Amino acid sequence: MQNQKSYAQVRTQRLRRISVFDGQDLKKAILAGAAWLEEHRDAIDALNVFPVPDGDTGSNMSATMQAAIREIVASEETVAGTIAAKLAHGALLGARGNSGVILSQILRGLAQGLDKKQTFSATDLALALQEAQRLAYRAVLKPVEGTILTVVRETAEAAQASAQRGDDLVAMMQELVMAARQSVARTPDLLPTLKQAGVVDSGGQGFCTILEGVWRYVRGESGASPTAAMQERVLESSLPETGVRRGRVTVEEEFGYEVVFLLRGEDLDVEKIRQTIIDMGGVSTVVAGDEQMLKVHTHTEQPGKILDYGVSLGSLLDINIENLQEQSLAYAAESEAEHAAEQDRPPAKQIATVAVVAGPGFEKVFQSVGLTAIVPGGQTMNPSTEELLAAVNAVDADKVILLPNNSNVILSARQVVDLTSKEVYIVPTETMPQGIAALLGFNFEADFESNCKAMTEAATSVQTAEITTAIRTVQIGDVRVREGDYIGLVNGNLVIAGRDMKHIIGETLQRMNIERYEIVTLYFGEGITQRQAEETAKGIKQKYSQLEIEVVDGGQPHYTYILAAE
Amino acid sequence: MAVRIVTDSTADIPQDQARAAGITIVPLTVFFGDEAYLDGIELDSASFYKKLAASKTLPRTSQPSPAAFQQAYTRLVEEGADAILSVHLSAKLSGTFQSARTARDTLPDTVKEIPIDIIDSQSISVGMSRAILLAAQEARAGLGLAEIKARVLDQLARTRILAVLDTLEFVRRGGRIGGARAMLGNMLSVKPIVSLRDGEVIPVEQPRTRSKAYARIAQLVQAMARVEHVSIAESNDEVGHQLAQEIQTVYTGELPIYRLGAVLGTHTGPGTAAVAVVAEQGSKGR
Repeated sequence: MQNQKSYAQVRTQRLRRISVFDGQDLKKAILAGAAWLEEHRDAIDALNVFPVPDGDTGSNMSATMQAAIREIVASEETVAGTIAAKLAHGALLGARGNSGVILSQILRGLAQGLDKKQTFSATDLALALQEAQRLAYRAVLKPVEGTILTVVRETAEAAQASAQRGDDLVAMMQELVMAARQSVARTPDLLPTLKQAGVVDSGGQGFCTILEGVWRYVRGESGASPTAAMQERVLESSLPETGVRRGRVTVEEEFGYEVVFLLRGEDLDVEKIRQTIIDMGGVSTVVAGDEQMLKVHTHTEQPGKILDYGVSLGSLLDINIENLQEQSLAYAAESEAEHAAEQDRPPAKQIATVAVVAGPGFEKVFQSVGLTAIVPGGQTMNPSTEELLAAVNAVDADKVILLPNNSNVILSARQVVDLTSKEVYIVPTETMPQGIAALLGFNFEADFESNCKAMTEAATSVQTAEITTAIRTVQIGDVRVREGDYIGLVNGNLVIAGRDMKHIIGETLQRMNIERYEIVTLYFGEGITQRQAEETAKGIKQKYSQLEIEVVDGGQPHYTYILAAE
Repeated sequence: MAVRIVTDSTADIPQDQARAAGITIVPLTVFFGDEAYLDGIELDSASFYKKLAASKTLPRTSQPSPAAFQQAYTRLVEEGADAILSVHLSAKLSGTFQSARTARDTLPDTVKEIPIDIIDSQSISVGMSRAILLAAQEARAGLGLAEIKARVLDQLARTRILAVLDTLEFVRRGGRIGGARAMLGNMLSVKPIVSLRDGEVIPVEQPRTRSKAYARIAQLVQAMARVEHVSIAESNDEVGHQLAQEIQTVYTGELPIYRLGAVLGTHTGPGTAAVAVVAEQGSKGR
């Protein structure tokens, strides 16, 4: 009921109508959304369930948006589909944290929905949002309701309903914002941990904030006013664009084929050829050369059509068609030269390992157990997909095992698999001790597949306890936490809080059934001395005399101690 | 008619078993300071590890002299041997193989000339002992030198040895670290699993605890193709039995357990347990 009331209000307050957006409209709307998100970053960061310093959703999503708009900020492109594709590309590489990865998938869905469209209507947008929510759900292994996923889905549903009522994008945007806000407000009802912490879902709020920014732009409130072109169309009320392909929603494969060839002919018209290929459905089309010889590079679902067209103009050389299913759009577009270079290189060392590591001590430990390359980051500094990708590409091996060492980095790590020509396997480590255990399980004799399996198994053989200081007051389950308390976590779950560190450590160890293990490695963090750590170890040894305890300088930020039991 | 089999003390074949099988063992020497002990003759395994624990300085080892081999070969010739097959530890780990060759090539003219083939097993301890014991059986059964030699080489090629150590320190100090150097920088205490390839020490894995190490070795054994024979070498009963228990979860055949001698103890340290696995003919082993 309330829903309908707000719709009614919107419609009476409406000042103008916009029936189609072109690339520049989309660009400005998204820029406004990104700016609004950046403005509210800290507020979204504060929507943190656990009282521990961890991957901040606002910062991660904003960093992802900033990466998304990198390529469009200065673009004069008017084709909406092209702007959307660039956004998706930037977001894919810049994705940070789980929320960033999901956001990048939303933008990818949007790009797929708007693929090849010069302009788009409300109906197009509704379909694109359907695609966005579908890909968002697919991005996570176990979708959880009461998160950004729910908000995107309900927003997409609202878009469908809105598109059926009318073709005004201004009205639709407002309805989407309303739907998103209500969806965000409901997240605590769906996810008990949110309710307990007294917050709404941060990722959902982030998505909603972007929509709010877009809406502010559309109705002319944000800095940039609608463009002249947009105003011209304001009163236009036309039928929805032709060529709305509902089947698009169920299309399984993302990018079809990459087609590259050289064309030799006479009086070749580069501009005309480029436009024709785009009209034939070519995406990311590059046509370069002169009247006698040019190179065509495009992505299409019908390579035959493009090749036939080429043959009609002259003779084709060096035809290369690749299925993009296993290869990202982003990588393929720029990999031509790299491919050639790679083939000239001597055979690489068989297997490299790359891990996300925080703390100078931990860096040394990881290197000492044979890690090939480090990506700095972790709990509060989630590396982007691009940073992980760069490290994977930089190591001198064709096969790479990637250790995210943080639950909020696993998703961005998974993105890397499709972005590189190297064979990459993610051992889904959630803590640094798990990463170390995985590396110790590396078998120098075994091949890549066996090692992936062995390391994944080794990672699960270690239990991680963390001791840190609560950054706010909260109740989680039956644990009451006051700001400034020492808190103990076992495998990421809060188990105890209090003022006496010794007591907290003892309780935490007890909760992890420490007597069942043989060896405990005590990594002490930034600000703790070796002496203090030795004292702590002595305390543990007094209680559990059969345990072997090893004290190691981890130097990790935020966490006083990280304990690994195995 | 008779082929005689010779090896050295690093095969870890007990004296009485060797005697019964007709195998001649040429001992290496272990030194504690200035005191020299013939491996397995003047110093048995148990006494060695006791001495090792008590000693302030680490023991050293040395290969048998060519003279020791000449003595052994000469005696066998005098006993009527028609040929000798002499199988020794990896030439990359010891000069023993070289010493045996020198001995053969410089045998005095007074010794009757018979064929003496010397094999570098590229292995050690239980990694070569089964091949040697089988060779002795075959020699008794009257097989010729070429045939026995071929069988020994085949057996060795199908044998893989894995060892879990308390520390790499002894391997390192003895200068036999080989490819396991890759594990040396480890800041965390581990129970390294090593193997031999082409006669050199290579790294395998670095489990944190003994129980994990034994379990991993059992998994590695299980992952190998069909197994013809498994044997264990231990520095003490405890480690050997722990390893045996794990192995028995994946292998139900006979599982002889040998004691690591003083020379191997010097280079691997206390708390070492090794397993040698012989893959069935036709399946791949290393």
